[in-house]
Amino acid sequence: MNARLNRTSWIARITFLEAIRQRFFAFLLVLSAAMVVSSVSLRFMDFGHSELKFVADFAFGGMFLFGSVLALVMTAQLFFAEIENRTALTLLAKPLSRTEFLLGKFLGTWAVLGVFVFSLAFLQGIILWSRTQELIVMAAETGRVAPDFSVSGLASFAVLQWLRLGVVAAMVLMVSAVARTFLFTVIVGAMAIVAGQLQWLAQEALLKPSDASVVTKSLLWVSSRVIPNLQQFNIGDTLVLDPTAISGAAVWSVILSGLFYLVAFLALASLAFRRREI
Amino acid sequence: MSTSSAISVQGLTKDFRVGLRGIKLRAVDNLSLEIPRGQVFGLLGPNGCGKSTTLKIVLGLIPATSGAISILGFPSATTEARQRTGFLPEAPYFHKFLTGRELVQYCARLSGVPSAQVHDAVEASLELAAMTEAASRPIGTYSKGMLQRIGLAQAIVHDPELVILDEPTAGVDPVGSAAIGRMINAMRAKGKTIVLCSHLLGQVEQVCDRVAIMDRGRLVLEGRVDEVLAQRDRHVITVAYLTPQARQAAEAALAAHGATVTSITHPRRSLEDLFRELVTGSRDA
Repeated sequence: MNARLNRTSWIARITFLEAIRQRFFAFLLVLSAAMVVSSVSLRFMDFGHSELKFVADFAFGGMFLFGSVLALVMTAQLFFAEIENRTALTLLAKPLSRTEFLLGKFLGTWAVLGVFVFSLAFLQGIILWSRTQELIVMAAETGRVAPDFSVSGLASFAVLQWLRLGVVAAMVLMVSAVARTFLFTVIVGAMAIVAGQLQWLAQEALLKPSDASVVTKSLLWVSSRVIPNLQQFNIGDTLVLDPTAISGAAVWSVILSGLFYLVAFLALASLAFRRREI
Repeated sequence: MSTSSAISVQGLTKDFRVGLRGIKLRAVDNLSLEIPRGQVFGLLGPNGCGKSTTLKIVLGLIPATSGAISILGFPSATTEARQRTGFLPEAPYFHKFLTGRELVQYCARLSGVPSAQVHDAVEASLELAAMTEAASRPIGTYSKGMLQRIGLAQAIVHDPELVILDEPTAGVDPVGSAAIGRMINAMRAKGKTIVLCSHLLGQVEQVCDRVAIMDRGRLVLEGRVDEVLAQRDRHVITVAYLTPQARQAAEAALAAHGATVTSITHPRRSLEDLFRELVTGSRDA
C-alpha cells in the first residue's frame, strides 16, 4: 500500500511540475487575476445589486469560466502528452499499475487547479477586504449599515470550486482513457461540462408533474443521475456575503456529491484505461 | 513454460483491428520463443515484422490476442514481472525539464528502489551509462546518444534481472554505439539477461549470444550466433606475405588433398572499426 502511494505521489509530483511550467496555465491565471482585480473598476455595472455582490460574482465568474477551461484542456493535454510523446511507454513498463498512473496524473492536475483556485480566492479576498473598508467608512459617513463579507465563506467557496474543477478533471480523464485524440477529448469534455451546468433542468423536469412519456422520464432520470450537477457548486455569493442563509449540511451535501462523482469518474477511467493499447 | 527462461513465449498471436470495418491485421503469428537467462539475445527482423509488438506484449503494454508469456517465471504484465525488468524504448523521449539525474531518481522511485538506496542506485546506473558528468543538465539539452544512454540508466536503476533494449543505437554515431555495446557487455558480465532489438546487424553479431529472426510476425530462425552464421563446409586461413609462388604451392598442396580454393582476398577492417580508430577518444557529450 505504501509503495502504491509512493509511486502515485511521484507521478503526481512530476505531472504538477510539468503543468505549472506551462504557459497556458500562466496565461489563464494572469487573465483570471486581471478579471478579479478589474471587478472593482467595473462595479458601476452592478445592475442594482449590492456593490460587493457584483465584485464577488464577477470574480467568481472568471474563476468558473477560466477554471473550467484550464481543467478541461490541461487534463486532456497532460494525459495525451504522455501517450503521444511515448513517455507512457517508459513509465508503464515499470512496476506501476495503470490505476496508479491515472490517479497520479489526476492528483498532479488537481494540485495545479488548487493553485489556480486558491491564488484567485486569496486575491479576491484582498480585493473584497479593501473595498469593504472603503464602504465601511462611507457607510459611517452616511449613517447606513456597513457591508461585510465572510472570509470563511470565501474559503468554503474556494474549496467547493476546487472540488468542482476536480469533478471536471476526473470526467475529462475518463473521456481521455477511451478517446484516441486530444481534440475529441476536448470537444466531448466541453459538452460534458455544458451538460453538467444544465443538469438541474433535468432534475427540475423530473420533479414537475407532467404527462411526459416513460422513455422521456427514463432519459431525464438517467441524465440527472449520470451527469453531475455542476451548478450546485456555484453558491459563492451566498457563502461570502450571506453565510447564514445556507446551512452547513447543505454545503456538506454538495461536497459529498462532488466527491462521489469524482471517485466514480476515476474508477471508470481506470477500468477503461486498463485494456488500452499504449 | 520454463522457469529457467528469462522470457517464455508460447503460441503468441496478436491481431489488430484496422479501419471502420475492423479488418484484422495479424502482427504476430503463433510465436513461441524461449530466451535463456544470463545471455544477450538479439531479436531481429525488418520493419513491421512484429518485433516491437512482441516486446510491448511481453511488457504488458498491449494485450495479446492469444498465447501465454512469462518473465522469469512470473506471468508477464504483472508488477512482479516488471519489477525484475528494465526497458529502453525505441527513440526514447523524457520530460525535458528534468535533469538526467532527476529522471533516473524518478524512475528509481517508480521502480520501488528503497529510499535509502536511491542515491547509490542512481549514481551507479549513471556511471554505467557514462552519464555522470552530464547528469545535472536538463534532458532538453542532450544529444541523441546521450538520450539513449540516460534511457539505459533509467532502465537499469532498479538492478533488474532482465533488460529489454529496443533499438538502443538508433541514430547514434559509431562511437556512441560502441559505448552502448560496452554497457551491454558490462551488464552481461553481471549476469543480466539482455534482449536486444536492433537493425545494426554488425553490432548484434558482436554482442549477442543467441538471435531470433522474425518476418511477417513469424519466427523464421532461432539459435546461437556462431551456429547460425557458421559455414561448416568453408574455412578461412589468414596468411602474411603470400608471394605468387607460395600461393601456387599452397593451392597445389590443397588440390592434392581434394580441397578447392574458392577465393583469395585481402582481409578488411570494418568501416565501423576504422571510424572508431580514427575518432578514438571522442565522446558525444
